[in-house]
Amino acid sequence: MKVLMNETDPNQTEAGSQVNSEANNAGPRSVIDVEQVSFAYDGKKEVLRDVSMKIRERQVTAFIGPSGCGKTTLLRCFNRMNDLIPTAALTKGRIRILESDIYAREVDPIELRKCVGMVFQKYNPFPKSIYENVAYGLRIAGVQKKSVLDETVESSLRHAGLWEEVKDRLDSSGLGLSGGQQQRLCIARTIAVKPEIILMDEPCSALDPISTTRIEELITQLKKDFTIVIVTHSMQQATRVSDRTAFFYLGNLIEMDDTTKIFTSPAERQTEDYISGKFG
Amino acid sequence: MPASTSEKPVSVSRFQEKGFRFLGLTFQDVIRYFFGGNASLAIVALLLICVFLIREAWLFFPTHRHDLAIFRQTGVEYVDLMLQEGIAHKEAYTLLNQAYLAELNEPSQSVAAILLAHQQVALEVSKANQRTVDDWKKADDAGKVALRTRWVEGAEKALDQNETWNVEVARFEWTGDLRQKMRQAVLEEGPGGDEKSPFIAELEERKAQIFAETSERLKPFNAIKLAFRNAGRPLDALTDELAKIAKENRELASTFSSAPERKEALLEGAAMETDPVIKARKVAEAEAIVMVAPDYASLTRPFYDSVPKHDAVNTALRSDLAGILATFPEPGTLQTELGRKNLRLAHKSTEQLLGKLKLAAADVKAWRHDAKVGFGAAVTSFFFGKRWITNSSWQDFYGVLPLFSGSLIIALIAMVVAVPFSIASAIYVNQLASFKEQSFVKPTIEFIGAIPSVVLGFFGIMVLGTTLRDVSQLEWLSWVPGFPMQERLTMLNAGLLLAFMAIPTIFTLAEDAINNVPHAFTESSFALGATKLQTVFRVILPTALSGIIAAILLGFGRIIGETMVVLLVAGNKIQIPDFNAGLGVIAQPAHTMTGIIAQELGEVERGSLHWRALFMVGMVLFVISLIINYIAQWVVKRFHKV
Repeated sequence: MKVLMNETDPNQTEAGSQVNSEANNAGPRSVIDVEQVSFAYDGKKEVLRDVSMKIRERQVTAFIGPSGCGKTTLLRCFNRMNDLIPTAALTKGRIRILESDIYAREVDPIELRKCVGMVFQKYNPFPKSIYENVAYGLRIAGVQKKSVLDETVESSLRHAGLWEEVKDRLDSSGLGLSGGQQQRLCIARTIAVKPEIILMDEPCSALDPISTTRIEELITQLKKDFTIVIVTHSMQQATRVSDRTAFFYLGNLIEMDDTTKIFTSPAERQTEDYISGKFG
Repeated sequence: MPASTSEKPVSVSRFQEKGFRFLGLTFQDVIRYFFGGNASLAIVALLLICVFLIREAWLFFPTHRHDLAIFRQTGVEYVDLMLQEGIAHKEAYTLLNQAYLAELNEPSQSVAAILLAHQQVALEVSKANQRTVDDWKKADDAGKVALRTRWVEGAEKALDQNETWNVEVARFEWTGDLRQKMRQAVLEEGPGGDEKSPFIAELEERKAQIFAETSERLKPFNAIKLAFRNAGRPLDALTDELAKIAKENRELASTFSSAPERKEALLEGAAMETDPVIKARKVAEAEAIVMVAPDYASLTRPFYDSVPKHDAVNTALRSDLAGILATFPEPGTLQTELGRKNLRLAHKSTEQLLGKLKLAAADVKAWRHDAKVGFGAAVTSFFFGKRWITNSSWQDFYGVLPLFSGSLIIALIAMVVAVPFSIASAIYVNQLASFKEQSFVKPTIEFIGAIPSVVLGFFGIMVLGTTLRDVSQLEWLSWVPGFPMQERLTMLNAGLLLAFMAIPTIFTLAEDAINNVPHAFTESSFALGATKLQTVFRVILPTALSGIIAAILLGFGRIIGETMVVLLVAGNKIQIPDFNAGLGVIAQPAHTMTGIIAQELGEVERGSLHWRALFMVGMVLFVISLIINYIAQWVVKRFHKV
């Protein structure tokens, strides 16, 4: 079982085999299987080339790399958010989530997104009350029973560590909260739908250090229940929150391994250069 | 340190201003004032318009008050009370009469339709053979035989044409062998033929017979109807008699109020005159002008004297009408829908009439010629006056209510139609359409705004009016309120056209509002597993709501200020719509505030009461627009940050 493979570059194959041995030892099963995926926004110019990886259950996987390396693109492939751009599509390869090919013809992206939640870079609660923000996912799924809604809203807010702060003003607008609270509200909104996987696209880049710390603590707690994939620009953040780290460069997956290994003894020269700050 | 500075004087040359100053202004300043000047010019123009409107309009109320004072002092008001009684009575009678006529004509209607169709066919045939018909008049006996043959041939040819049989007769069709019989009838007539073919003669006889039978059957109804009309005779006689006196009084009053002006004019003329004889005559003429106010108390004496008489007439009329109302036939016993409808309306209207007469009796008794006309009366009689009557030989009234209600109903019709259409289009274009559809639909809808309103009005008269009326006469659409419509130019017609004009305004603004919804909201809704429609209705529309409401309000402002279309299409009948018709009120014609200004302003004397009244109407429009715009801006601000 190959965890990482890049056929175009012999160096990477070597790196891959190294990871391979480790992967075989690790216990958790993989929930996302990326198999030789290439992706283009306009059908021609590939922004991801031949990426293969496995993302393990109940772990935090961090994607790092300089701007434009394709890490966010890959993340958005996992819940098919790229479908919103008309010409964007996989040009090669397959992505399987929980054993199902998510780009198969009969797949409904709506169903997929209920299973793969997403938290965005800029916190974006709806201009509705705090309660309605969290209940939104349930309402569109057709849940109308007040008791179920109340219960889920409370447990999701508790889960996101926001309950104590907002329990007295559930009916006030979500936009009245501070930036960090708004982002935790967005996380609560996402987990209310009970997804298997949560994708986070630089969730702390618009927040101050204190709020960032709170979100990072939250991520560490959430991984007990969810598989988390996080894109981050901050290498420190990756070391703090993630179990495994993938380094992307110019559309290629250069290296993927346990976080401690990537940051202490990376197998690839490019990885080392990036984490030591030679480019970025 | 001070020593060193004094040695080396501070040089500014390095940082010196470049360029030159003109009147102490740099080039940057000049540009700034130029643009600022342009902006303030628009504001100054707006202020000037406000000042102009207010200056012309505010004098309306004192002038109107004076006019109302004369109306009262001369007793015209007193007679007007009676006149209104008579008018209300006649309105009720008209409805009753229409019910009667509908009943009277119905039984013979099918026969009458055939006769009408015959007339039209015969006319077509004789038109097609015009030369033969003309020659016949000049021909001698020998020639006539040949012409008869020629005519029959020509007529047969014409009757073979399908167009000949296209007749415009309501509720009529060529059924069975009717066409065959008609053909024969037409051929039997014409030059040299029968005056009237047996078929037609028989039909006419049948029609007369049915008509006679129906009139016989409806005799009781007819008697009720006539009794209803005749009950008003004494009131009319009394009103006529008093109206003459009132008119004379008003003559005197207007002579008196114009006396100083005339005197001054004569004296001025005399001053310019060189001939002493003419000069003396003019001065004498001027001196002869009486400046004494007429004695209104004695002038209005006949009115006070007539109060008991009116009371008697009024009481008699009321008891008569109440008696007649009890004998009205049951609407169920009538055979036609139109008859039943009009009878019901007549019933309702008579009941209202009885109430009105009672009130009028009290008003007449309470009337005093010397009661003070307050400033408030001048204001309320404008804003709440139910009559807008100008250039009348009796009395002019400037009540804005008929115009206001017309404008309002037309605008409401337009909004009811335009809002769903434009919002749905905006959602479609912004959210659901493909790029190709978007780039076609959006400019097309926006193009509607470029159509000159006079062109739309023309379309409304020539096409929409006729089409609407024809469609409304379809049997299976008779459940629609107001259908079948009698008129072509109605509030419905104007409302539909205005809706069409408002669509681009509301569409563009609503589309902008939807477009301004941050993409992040849409994206996170999708990420939570929402479908496109759920996203539109649960996230995008609520977020864009303030913008959409503002769009609707601005569309409303656009409609209420529109002039050309309503002037051409609304029917221009100055009357408060009759709400007894329920929703069917939309099928009535009306006049509007904008229309009246456009129509009358060109013809009134500058500075007259009528002229100022039109300016007041303009003020009302201006204030309405101002309020709507203000609310729209407030809505946007209030709800912008959720």
